[in-house]
Amino acid sequence: MRNPDVIVIGAGVIGTSVAYYLTERNYKVLLIDKGDAAVGTSSHCDAAAMLTDKQPGADAALGFSSIGHFVELSKNLSMDFEFAQTGSLYICETDFEYTVATDYVNSLRSEGYPVHMVDRKELAEREPYLTKDLTGGFWSDVCSQMNPYRLCFALIEEAKKKGLETAFYSPVLSMKREGEDYIVSTPAKEYRSKLVVNCAGIWAPHIGHMLGLSIPIFPRKGVILLTEKTFPLCRQKVQEYGYLVTKFHPEMERHLDPLIEDNNVSFTIEPTNDDNFLIGSSRNFVGYDNSVEPEIAQGIAKRALRFFPILKDINCIRAYSGLRPFVPDHLPIISPVDNLPGYYIAAGHEGDGISMAPITGILISQMVNNEKPDLALEPFRFSRFSDGSSRHI
Amino acid sequence: MKTTDDDLVICRCEEITLGEIRQAVRDGAREVSAVKRRTRAGMGLCQGRTCEPIIQGIIKQEIKALNETTGKLTARFPHRPVKFSVLGGMTDEES
Repeated sequence: MRNPDVIVIGAGVIGTSVAYYLTERNYKVLLIDKGDAAVGTSSHCDAAAMLTDKQPGADAALGFSSIGHFVELSKNLSMDFEFAQTGSLYICETDFEYTVATDYVNSLRSEGYPVHMVDRKELAEREPYLTKDLTGGFWSDVCSQMNPYRLCFALIEEAKKKGLETAFYSPVLSMKREGEDYIVSTPAKEYRSKLVVNCAGIWAPHIGHMLGLSIPIFPRKGVILLTEKTFPLCRQKVQEYGYLVTKFHPEMERHLDPLIEDNNVSFTIEPTNDDNFLIGSSRNFVGYDNSVEPEIAQGIAKRALRFFPILKDINCIRAYSGLRPFVPDHLPIISPVDNLPGYYIAAGHEGDGISMAPITGILISQMVNNEKPDLALEPFRFSRFSDGSSRHI
Repeated sequence: MKTTDDDLVICRCEEITLGEIRQAVRDGAREVSAVKRRTRAGMGLCQGRTCEPIIQGIIKQEIKALNETTGKLTARFPHRPVKFSVLGGMTDEES
């Protein structure tokens, strides 16, 4: 077997997308993972590709572009990954939130994105089971949902038709350079190629460390509650405005029950292709431990009841948690590495991995193929951490 | 109507058959959690209580390596279905 053109490390949403878009450009790709596909973060999350949880500027541009590519993927991939463009609704609990949200919506609209404020009446029309005491919110029709691990399987299946090879249950033990080649060692075999893409998410720092790279990605846990199969509790993804606070400004006080505030709980509910609903969310830093703290589950349930009181008699059948790959400046790393020609990083999407998977795959494949990239790459470069220009948002 | 044993329902909650589970192993799954992700077996109301040991046996058969480990599904909170009113700490008056 000849050497692959590219070795992609990590078979989550990012790695499978990178592998797919590279095979589309006729690269011979080997996709390696320490487990099966989608064994990590990509199967321990909810599953939305949204515009309205992005910050205006580079973040929103990346998200919006990616959603457009999802629509194409839903047509081009033979395996169904349950993609649905149902839109998303943000809800504001207070007049103050509504005012701040109006500024946010206006800045997205000034960049040309389709999103608008909704009043109390429209909230009730869009979501009949939502509590009636809210001021309003905002809605965007481009936001969509899917099944994230089926997305990984679908991308792999399609890429295999163009020659993708996979090596699952093959943890990378070490890496080294030999001339222009990268040698990637797994328990069973050693692989060699001139191009490597590190798509290992929360494990990207461990992979990077093997070649002396210091990649600032930290696991940020989120808990999700799964309901039993039930009637349509909601029609689309619904999130409280406080979600953007917990994501970007966890230091802000929201003056809520400590069970909710201390665990950075903010409400989100999402339908799935089956009749189960996913309810979140939380954010905390506890290293790589993905066990579920019962207090966090309780906090999420409590916050969910405030917005959807109808949940009180619905059963929660499972709680699980995922580890988001957090980067301090809230932008992913989609970049070559200065003193390692042929080495690329595509990781650090914290909470936006699903939504940014297609555009990340496209940008990496454009970089590798020396094509003009679809988006300016400057905000996502790895060197921003070493030249002092990375800023905490 | 002739049926093969591929049509046997293994996961009753989600109605996943022996054939689907075997295919998942052929597609690369070597542990119960990977079969679960590929087929939905173990995602239903009983969360794998009924089907997990059977799936472990099927994986072993398919990979024909009886001393390889098949892994286990992770038992997670809540260990039985719990109403949101209980989880969210509603009092008797509220619920």
